[in-house]
Amino acid sequence: MLAYKSKYPTSTPKVDQEIKVKGEAKYTDDISMPGMLFARSLRSNICRGEIVNVNVPKLPDGYFYVDSKDIKGENVTNIIFSDWPVFAEKKINFFGETIALIVGPDKRVIDQIIKEIVVEYKEETPVFELSQSYIHKSFTKGNLEEAKKKAVKVVEEEYSTGYQEQAYLEPQGMLVYFDEENKLTCIGSMQCPWYVHRAVMRACALNNEQVRVIQPAVGGAFGGKEHYPSLIGAELATALIKIKKPIKMCFERTEDLMFSTKRHPSLSKYIAYIDKDNNILGMDVSVKLNGGAYKGCSGVVLSRALIASANVYRIPSLNVVGDVYMTNTVPTAAFRGFGSPQTIFAMEMFIHHIAKALNIDPLELRMKYLVKKGDITTNSGEFHDPIIMPELIEEAMKMSDYKRKIVEYSKPGCNKGIGMSFFLHGCGFTGNGESDIIKAKVRLNKDENNIVRVYASSVDMGQGNKTTLKRIVAKNLDIPNEQVIFDNPDTSVVPDSGPTAASRTIIIVGFLMEKAAKNLKQIWEDGKKQEIIEPYVGPSYIHWDEEKMQGDAYPSYSWGVNIVEVEFDPISYQIDVKHIWSTYDVGRVVDERIAIGQADGGIIQGIGYGYMENMNCRAGKFVQKSLGDYIVPTSMDVPLMETKFIDNPFIYGANGAKGMGELTLVGGAPAVALAIENAIGVKVNDIPCSPEYIMERIKNGKN
Amino acid sequence: MGEKVIPSSLAEALDFLSTHDCNIVAGGSDIMLQKKNTAGLLPRFDKDVLFISNLRELHYERKEDDSVHIGATMTLEEILDHTITPQVLKDCLSELASSNIRHFATLPGNIANASPAGDTIVVEILLDAMVKLTSKTGSRYVKVEDFVKGVRKIDLHNDELIEEVIYPSNDYDVIKWFKVGSRKAESISKVSFAGAYKIEGGKIKSISIAFGSVFMKAIRSHELEKELIGMSLKELSSSIEEFVSKYSNVISPIDDQRSNKTYRRNVAENIVREFLKEIK
Amino acid sequence: MARINFILNHQALSIDVDPSKRLLDFIRDDMHLSGTKEGCGEGSCGACVVLMDGYSVNSCLIPMANVVGHEIITIDGFKKTEEFKVLSEAFAEEGGSQCGFCTPGMIIASQSLLSHNPHPSEEEIRHALAGNLCRCTGYQAIIHAVQLASKIGGKLWEKK
Repeated sequence: MLAYKSKYPTSTPKVDQEIKVKGEAKYTDDISMPGMLFARSLRSNICRGEIVNVNVPKLPDGYFYVDSKDIKGENVTNIIFSDWPVFAEKKINFFGETIALIVGPDKRVIDQIIKEIVVEYKEETPVFELSQSYIHKSFTKGNLEEAKKKAVKVVEEEYSTGYQEQAYLEPQGMLVYFDEENKLTCIGSMQCPWYVHRAVMRACALNNEQVRVIQPAVGGAFGGKEHYPSLIGAELATALIKIKKPIKMCFERTEDLMFSTKRHPSLSKYIAYIDKDNNILGMDVSVKLNGGAYKGCSGVVLSRALIASANVYRIPSLNVVGDVYMTNTVPTAAFRGFGSPQTIFAMEMFIHHIAKALNIDPLELRMKYLVKKGDITTNSGEFHDPIIMPELIEEAMKMSDYKRKIVEYSKPGCNKGIGMSFFLHGCGFTGNGESDIIKAKVRLNKDENNIVRVYASSVDMGQGNKTTLKRIVAKNLDIPNEQVIFDNPDTSVVPDSGPTAASRTIIIVGFLMEKAAKNLKQIWEDGKKQEIIEPYVGPSYIHWDEEKMQGDAYPSYSWGVNIVEVEFDPISYQIDVKHIWSTYDVGRVVDERIAIGQADGGIIQGIGYGYMENMNCRAGKFVQKSLGDYIVPTSMDVPLMETKFIDNPFIYGANGAKGMGELTLVGGAPAVALAIENAIGVKVNDIPCSPEYIMERIKNGKN
Repeated sequence: MGEKVIPSSLAEALDFLSTHDCNIVAGGSDIMLQKKNTAGLLPRFDKDVLFISNLRELHYERKEDDSVHIGATMTLEEILDHTITPQVLKDCLSELASSNIRHFATLPGNIANASPAGDTIVVEILLDAMVKLTSKTGSRYVKVEDFVKGVRKIDLHNDELIEEVIYPSNDYDVIKWFKVGSRKAESISKVSFAGAYKIEGGKIKSISIAFGSVFMKAIRSHELEKELIGMSLKELSSSIEEFVSKYSNVISPIDDQRSNKTYRRNVAENIVREFLKEIK
Repeated sequence: MARINFILNHQALSIDVDPSKRLLDFIRDDMHLSGTKEGCGEGSCGACVVLMDGYSVNSCLIPMANVVGHEIITIDGFKKTEEFKVLSEAFAEEGGSQCGFCTPGMIIASQSLLSHNPHPSEEEIRHALAGNLCRCTGYQAIIHAVQLASKIGGKLWEKK
């Protein structure tokens, strides 16, 4: 071993590190099978209308056309709200909607066939403005009418956020085949094997045992592979049933950028009612999300956005209203944060804009309204657990020398800026989702050699849960890591421990693992085969009314502070991010190296969302079609980052751990937007806060 | 399917060019992208193809009578590392694409691609660089400013290839390069700028100002430069806004997926204003 | 078709292939070496980089014609070297891989840098890796990994 002192003495070597660094990890496109065919999509050329006729030329031998007529079950993608057809049958609702798959051995021939297919449409006028709401939610807190009566000042602002593309390095892809037991098997780049499993069952009218989903190495996901693979799986499974040969479909990057799901663009209106002593008595919040052509999971995204709308602030009275709008564009879906980045950006900017309107120090105002344990939440639940935000804030300000810099950088003529965001993230599925919908289960099997196999459906897509979950089990069984095996999920053997999403893997699945391991330890007998199945039982004090959106939205929250320092160039209006400091409360870190990795990666995505990443949709089509046009940060755009975790163990967490998968993205955009505001001396209401936008704001003197 | 030839000598390459209508592939970083096909399929070349990157005869960078001659198959990274490469070209190359791309991309590739955002073209027209165009029957020398005629339009005959790029010597006191991209690396310019001047006896002796990405090709205004030449520094300082305005009339930026015309115009004006202000 | 003679992973090859074929397709489809990835096919992401005469290049944009007479090393060849061992350990220590898709490219680009600049500054590392996108790590762990590799294994690259 080469001599150096490890930075992470308590961390576990990552289980898949070696195969990844050697290039031996097998991602979907690395896998081939004898007799394998390729599939490519025939997509609609219009944004809205009906298919009148599809003229398919005579296909050469060995080539197939697969469409809605080949669906054996329901022509619908099984998602939270299942309205997205697998294949468009008659109605077209967005540009690029899949009409059919063309399958065969040679991609050149497939591409030629697609070129020759003529689709006749009856076009209709597409809807692009946010005018047709197809999901509406609302809730109240306290008594806003009373608050309005007492108010002497009203501050009103509007905020907008744009699309964000996950830009995982590995594009979408899946391979389907019949295995040796004749199960319809899918191997693909995904986050939720059981979601794909159920989507295939539904579209193909198969029962549970007839389908099998196996997770290969996954090259990043960030929410973009939470639901979308269910659509791909259903399409390919239908083709497989017809053709009975292995079929692989891997997207080109352009295809992925143009047609896969992205983050919901948003428009928020915030109105604050202030009394004569500068107290915020209440707020009206209205949020509009662009859901695209189909609802899918947008209802849950809206819920999270609304629940996060007051962020970390204790606002006595609220009227929160939200809508998801149908537009004839590619449906939007999950992306790390899942609705909360949109409203937390808005609220962080708003509280600063309120402070400016009242001529008071923003930090003072924020500290005054910062929630603490025992406070009523936005949805009239309770913050049951200790909240250490003041410590996180103090530490972050100390690390960054914030107090001195905010004064210095606020001076006119100074092109530097510093911004500090506060944020929270509810861990796990909203409300009763875990106990009523997901009902997660994990299983531990010990063999005669005392090797313990962990069975769960959690997908390691880079966030390291293969390592962390193993570690939790090994630690609680008091055995070496090497004695625990966690294979990639295969639905023929793993129970459904729920999707790898919603920052639930450590807090829910990890907690189940801890329980299971502890239970196994109790009954452990050397040399004997033993099994433990552990079903999820949530904290009994969590109550949630989905209809009224009242109660405890989440079993627990993680918290964070991001401070970003920037330098502004008045010639090009460009922003240079100079330094980033972050503090987080995630309960207790499971593995430090992995946690730092999540922190680093998350905040860069958040900051990219705030100032750099731009996806325009014009007349229903995405304009940025390549990774040269959709700009994500390179190594030269990212400064040094300093991160600290402060312990605040959660009683229902494995060794006190809460969730962090999404937390670290949520604060990046407001932090960089606030820094830019500080640098340019002009309000920022919209992201991405590009140089073009900055120029616009400065010229229009938005103060 | 056309013929695809890997010549082993320049003579062989020129011979092939004399009888075939070809796409010429040097490093390939531009043209392989343009002709890109579905993964696993051959690029969509619709003409015959001549691959010249292996021509060692064209792999050189040397000084001849004070001019720097760069052979066609030198990679951008090699040019960036070479001691005799003009500093402004180094500054430009350092911000072009990425090191991975620079390890195989070439200067003629960047020039012949004739993208309005082609960065090296801005530097070439700033310094009156030339291309040596060679065919079986001989060579001719054309200023890059004239060689690039418009968007993807070049003055290259069917039987010619770019043999070398020539940077003549200059006696400018100051040469500056400024690129505005969408991020710090791997970014196609939204606006690019190169400026050079020489001061003698408190007056502008010579000046050259070139913009990229704000016209259908990289652009210089010889008329405006003539107006600036001979001006004293005092005269210059009181007419900066006038020249900013005049340059603004020369350029013609557009809206596209990277940026918009208002921003480009504004930034171009800011850059040239700053450049003129800093002349001393 | 043309006869292409070159060296791939230390093995001399003499093959008939369409000279316009992408090196990436030859590596993955003809040689069945799947360590080199396709992330974008347009030279932006760096997941496809291999070493050509010791320099990292985007194999998705290199036609086979251009490898004639050159030495190509993919991750599959490089992983057997001493330099790889050092880089591999440094990446493991710093957490330089999360999803791993960019990792082979990052390793190749790091090797390209260190073999020409054994003790690069942080700025030089960022500059050399700017053509390799990573969406998971925020780059910091990777930069630290290259710095650590240079520190613990610098001598390996110095002599060359």
